[in-house]
Amino acid sequence: MAARGKVVLMAKITLDIFRFDEAVDTVPHRDKVVVDIPETTTVLDALEYAKAEVDGSISFRRSCRSAICGSCSMNVNGVTGLACKTPCNTVMDDTGTVKIDPMPNFQPMKDMVVHMDPFWDKYTRLKPYLQPKDADSSHATERRVSPDDMHKLVAVANCIMCATCYALCPVVSVDPAFAGPAAIAYAYRFIEDVRDGERKERIAQISEDYLWLCAHCYACSYCPKHVDPNDRIIDVKRAAISERVMMNERGPRHALTVVKTIKQTGMLAETELIQGTVGKFNIIGLLKVAPLGLRMASKGKLPPIFMKPIPKVDEVRTIIDSLEVPVA
Amino acid sequence: SLGERFMFKYAPNKGELASRDVVSRAEWTEILEGRGVDGCVLLDMRHLGREKILERLPQIRELALDATGKDAIDEPIPILPGAHYTMGGIEADLNGATRIPGVYAAGECACISVHGANRLGGNSLLDTIVFGARSAAHAVEYIKTVGEVKPSERTLQHERDRVADLLSRTGGTRAPKIRQKMNETMSANTFIFRNEAQLETAVKDLVAIRNEFDQGVYVMDKSKTFNTDLVSAFETDFLIDVSLALATGALHRKESRGAQARTDFPDRDDENWMVHTLAFRQDGAAPKLDYSRKAKITKWQPEVRSY
Repeated sequence: MAARGKVVLMAKITLDIFRFDEAVDTVPHRDKVVVDIPETTTVLDALEYAKAEVDGSISFRRSCRSAICGSCSMNVNGVTGLACKTPCNTVMDDTGTVKIDPMPNFQPMKDMVVHMDPFWDKYTRLKPYLQPKDADSSHATERRVSPDDMHKLVAVANCIMCATCYALCPVVSVDPAFAGPAAIAYAYRFIEDVRDGERKERIAQISEDYLWLCAHCYACSYCPKHVDPNDRIIDVKRAAISERVMMNERGPRHALTVVKTIKQTGMLAETELIQGTVGKFNIIGLLKVAPLGLRMASKGKLPPIFMKPIPKVDEVRTIIDSLEVPVA
Repeated sequence: SLGERFMFKYAPNKGELASRDVVSRAEWTEILEGRGVDGCVLLDMRHLGREKILERLPQIRELALDATGKDAIDEPIPILPGAHYTMGGIEADLNGATRIPGVYAAGECACISVHGANRLGGNSLLDTIVFGARSAAHAVEYIKTVGEVKPSERTLQHERDRVADLLSRTGGTRAPKIRQKMNETMSANTFIFRNEAQLETAVKDLVAIRNEFDQGVYVMDKSKTFNTDLVSAFETDFLIDVSLALATGALHRKESRGAQARTDFPDRDDENWMVHTLAFRQDGAAPKLDYSRKAKITKWQPEVRSY
């Protein structure tokens, strides 16, 4: 690891590593390996060094070591990211220790190698390939698209399927049936591709995979390739509303009712919001949220059932109309 | 280091857009002759401007930022020639079929050959898309003619025994250490400019490395779960074979052609060397070389290369 003629700050870095072999272990243990390396070495290179010099059984996925293959996502000091893109000196603590774990939301197999199948399943269900509107025979040469039409797909197409977003997603951690940020963002890639003929079907598929469970917490903004899945998820939800897919489900109803009450009164009317989301005639549903309603009332957070519009409600309505926001 | 746009000295017409082997030789010459900066040359993209770089070259900018801390928008990036592609490969025909029936090769691992001794832009795309498709189609037809084929139990047992033997060793040299020695001799002796003495050293070193691996490689991970130590040993094994074929072929090819630049034989010798080198593995020794396959010249005649 010679650096040409430059002064290199060496450091004794302690790698505090998660160790587990599903074939033999019932519980994991941790190993501490000390490596004497330049402090700017990436976590991946540090692991490779530890594996080559100290313990050949330390296991992790890796390939390109340049942030394009997506193999080396792991949890470093509590945050998931690509090990090849993480210099040790940006993550080590005061004692020079770097904690390394497999990424969360996945079942560990061997050290930092996890079972990836649920992640791939969510992708496969998208049918992540172009399903063109017209047959190849309708074109003399190739099927043409303008750069403008493809422009909005560029960011999503940069996804390297490293699963960092999926690992960080709190919704996945409570409900593994949730499609997850990567799949929804990739659904967008085809929903908005002008050549594709299955727009409505794709929106239906991703809606059924619990699109509307996304809480928009922005944890997926840690995407190492700047795909910004959260913004694409918002776009897919908008497409779902504009194509009127699954309008009777809670997700769309909630979004539309928010706008409806703001348009009516200039304020968010919680009581009506609950009714609109759950369904005015959904007795069982309403009974289920009754405890929540009572708790809110006891804290003084439940507004009157019939809300008076605010004085300048016309201005609010003008804003909503000019933005062409769909209302219920 | 003189701030010179040196490529036009080596390629007056094409400059930086000359063929990659020309650019590599130019960069390395500048560095060897002392005009490098910290052992590198500088890639300057500042003239493209912020907008164009962010739109057309975001990946490269990010890579440079991660690796060097420098932003290509504001500063030149230090670069070196690096091994990017393996020219040559498994002998295969236009359908990707090799000498062994049922074994196909397509893409970078194969040599059909359409690219010869050089790695131009678009090589990979042609190899993968065209020959990937053709070999798949041909393989499907092949399967129909042979039906079901059961692998020989003896071969399977031989492999199981080989792996079990490898895993049972309690000492020896780890594969990464052996790979390191291989890296060092290849980098020192088969790099951009080659000569007889260097190539002979490379072959000698690699035969020793071959033997060290066969007799003493040690796999530390004994697990049956995702054993990357074992896979790394397999990969090192094959890398040694590829390196031996490369170094031996280079040693015997007494000319310069494409990416091979021999300082002792600087010119191209079309009369004697328009042949493919076929290398056959020999245990514990350099491979046996065969020159029975001549290069096929059809439409385009060989010419002097100038950029």
